[in-house]
Amino acid sequence: MCRSVITPHNTEEGMDTDDTSRNPDGKGFYPSENGSVFSHHTPDPIRGACVSSTPLYCRSTCSSATVTSTTCGEDEQNSVESQDSGIPTLELSSPEVTEEKQSIEPLSQRQRDAPATLKLEAVDEGGASSQVRGGALVYRDSTSVCSTSSLSTDFSATLSLGNDDAAGDFVVTSDSSAVVDFHDFSDFSQFPQATAINIVPRDHPQQHHCEAVAKKESPIVNFFNRRLFGKNSPQQIRRVTKENEKAGGSASPRQSVRKHLEFEPLSTTALILEHRPANLPAKPAEEAQKHRQQYEEMVAHAKKREMKEAQKRRRQFEERVRLEESIGNAAHTWSQEILPNWQSMHSSKRTRDLWWQGIPPSVRGRVWSLAIGNELNITHELYDICLARAKVKWSASPSSISRAESNTAGDAGLSHADREASLELIKLDISRTFPSLCIFQQGGPYHDVLHSILGAYTCYRPDVGYVQGMSFIAAVLILNMNTADAFIAFANLLNKPCQMAFYRVDHSLMLTYFAAFEVFFEENLPKLFAHFKSNNLTPDIYLIDWIFTLYSKSLPLDVACRVWDVFCRDGEEFLFRTALGILRFYSEVLTHMDFIHMAQFLTRLPEQNSTHTQSHTLFSCIGSINMSCRNRTWTQVLQTLQKDPEHSSPVLKH
Amino acid sequence: MAYAYLFKYIIIGDTGVGKSCLLLQFTDKRFQPVHDLTIGVEFGARMITIDGKQIKLQIWDTAGQESFRSITRSYYRGAAGALLVYDITRRDTFNHLTTWLEDARQHSNSNMVIMLIGNKSDLESRREVKKEEGEAFAREHGLIFMETSAKTASNVEEAFINTAKEIYEKIQEGVFDINNEANGIKIGPQHAATNSTLSGGQGGQQAGGGCC
Repeated sequence: MCRSVITPHNTEEGMDTDDTSRNPDGKGFYPSENGSVFSHHTPDPIRGACVSSTPLYCRSTCSSATVTSTTCGEDEQNSVESQDSGIPTLELSSPEVTEEKQSIEPLSQRQRDAPATLKLEAVDEGGASSQVRGGALVYRDSTSVCSTSSLSTDFSATLSLGNDDAAGDFVVTSDSSAVVDFHDFSDFSQFPQATAINIVPRDHPQQHHCEAVAKKESPIVNFFNRRLFGKNSPQQIRRVTKENEKAGGSASPRQSVRKHLEFEPLSTTALILEHRPANLPAKPAEEAQKHRQQYEEMVAHAKKREMKEAQKRRRQFEERVRLEESIGNAAHTWSQEILPNWQSMHSSKRTRDLWWQGIPPSVRGRVWSLAIGNELNITHELYDICLARAKVKWSASPSSISRAESNTAGDAGLSHADREASLELIKLDISRTFPSLCIFQQGGPYHDVLHSILGAYTCYRPDVGYVQGMSFIAAVLILNMNTADAFIAFANLLNKPCQMAFYRVDHSLMLTYFAAFEVFFEENLPKLFAHFKSNNLTPDIYLIDWIFTLYSKSLPLDVACRVWDVFCRDGEEFLFRTALGILRFYSEVLTHMDFIHMAQFLTRLPEQNSTHTQSHTLFSCIGSINMSCRNRTWTQVLQTLQKDPEHSSPVLKH
Repeated sequence: MAYAYLFKYIIIGDTGVGKSCLLLQFTDKRFQPVHDLTIGVEFGARMITIDGKQIKLQIWDTAGQESFRSITRSYYRGAAGALLVYDITRRDTFNHLTTWLEDARQHSNSNMVIMLIGNKSDLESRREVKKEEGEAFAREHGLIFMETSAKTASNVEEAFINTAKEIYEKIQEGVFDINNEANGIKIGPQHAATNSTLSGGQGGQQAGGGCC
């Protein structure tokens, strides 16, 4: 026999509990003596939907666990919120709040410190569920469901928790209203256990017993604050009770846990068909039949859909496992075979093929460092020296002084002001570098690191200084290697001819690069090339951003890193090949756009849902770009154009 | 989309004064506290109505850093209007206006309408440049002037639309040769443009603009 007592609180407190439930001492949930915990997580949408959630005490004889109440840890709640957002819910309303509030006023006062409470007490040690005896009642919300049912004409609320991790399902109903009914649930075994709790009149003496126990026992478990309303009928109570017994008897052990990956009942399939309350005239048989049929159709339909979704999830899961496995294998090959023998292996076909697939993040930084090299022979000490100099400058001339000087100064003052302005500018730009990652902004973990590298570079190469776009390159390097190595890679990367041409804004050389790009553009995508020409869309419009930031601003970061991978392998040519790959990737949409739409589109590429798929498709597009034009390589075309500037693109010419 | 005229605008001014934010507020009616920095040039478009005529604004939003000047200079060509923006909380951005103006006058057509904008007017407590100074500068150089806030959207519509009105008046007066596209004005196609406006991503930006 199970019994439950719902002890509604005053409404405000109930709400309060719901929203800010946490332990008084701020810790998470407590393990019980045997280390297990009872935690019920309230699905977020439901939490949101409950107008008034009230702490609830239930005394269950079916479960032999002793579960006392405590609040749910905040962390745990948060983690649950993200999991449960997909569960559809119906709003619960409380028609009887006031009345109930009065009836349990003393309790609400006593419980104020730990307001969210669920009290389960074992009465019958020989209870059906042996698992529960251990005190392990764990409710995970990925599968548990709270649902209100309004399928029938009655208004009623039901709550059921189903779950693969759960030690048992149980259902709590309030004396005033909630109805639990399993009898329409055809595949009952989907719920590992079901323990229903019957309903006790509000003023039942048991309630006080519950409260007493609640006070006595140390707070061990999570709270369970759900308040359910509806009309109540003896008939339903009977049904629930009967169901209790049945369920209790058939409660299966927990071995089958986690075997429900295929199908887990969600709110829709856990909907329950209710009869009209006894105090209302019964439905005509025909109507009841019709409703039953509709109900069954709905459930069958929902179940089918959920099965499909479960399968889809499983496929995605398997895909992810496969992907992770291949990354793991590649990481092993890189770190055990290639990296130790870099000189002999880095240009082998096998390495190059593996390289094209993308370098596993765990070895990416090391591969980049090796591939970029250190022609400039920068040491960690040199970095420290440059950084120290930069710091002296920052502290020696605060921006306010330089500003005051710049207002009055002549030539010497101006150059000083300009240099200071570049230090100011670095500060301004750091927070504008990958703003969505939130790690480079003031107070973020990488803010100072990025500042240091850029500052050190302005001291290392005062002739180049800081140019916008550099912060993105430094940021990507920081994300993959330690600070000093990132600086070495940064300085060497910027020293490459193409990067130098762009970052020093060497006009004629930039024009040559654009012209070479157009040669391969026309060769690979003649139709799109003609379309661009007729719309006067010149390559500088989109290439400047792409080349300056090496795609880190325009492509999703993991796709950009894969571009960097192959850029490290193939050099500058790959940057332009990537550009052509992007154009091929979007050629279909681009051919239907006019100038302004193309310009907008290319300077702000659309975000893709799945970066993995995007990366895959984009790389097959890049792979299909042929970087030899009439038997001439990229380098040869570039050299020819450099010798003969007449052929360069007319853009940016004055 | 059918339009009577297309005006090309260019937004210029020091880095970090809020050029991209002004554009975003005008085209999308939203504000991003931390905007990506602009490398090279970005674009926006919106339809407005002046004197019952549909006018499409094609806006070029340029990078502000000194280093990029040589690149952005080429984008003045064919602009009918320019928004020259400074930040009222940073005196140096105001001090650089003369250089910007020289650049703009030198590389654009002489009839280009220039609107001077003192942005970030919501940050009154951090103000370094008085409104009167902005007005005086504008008077002296024959510019239209406005203080705006991309954050609160104050005067943002007006800044873009008043510029368009000025250009439109110049067309009416016959100052602009509308048949010369180098002036940054294009006459709309006779019929509704058949080039399908793609609804994906960028296309929506324009649709979101609506008209006033």
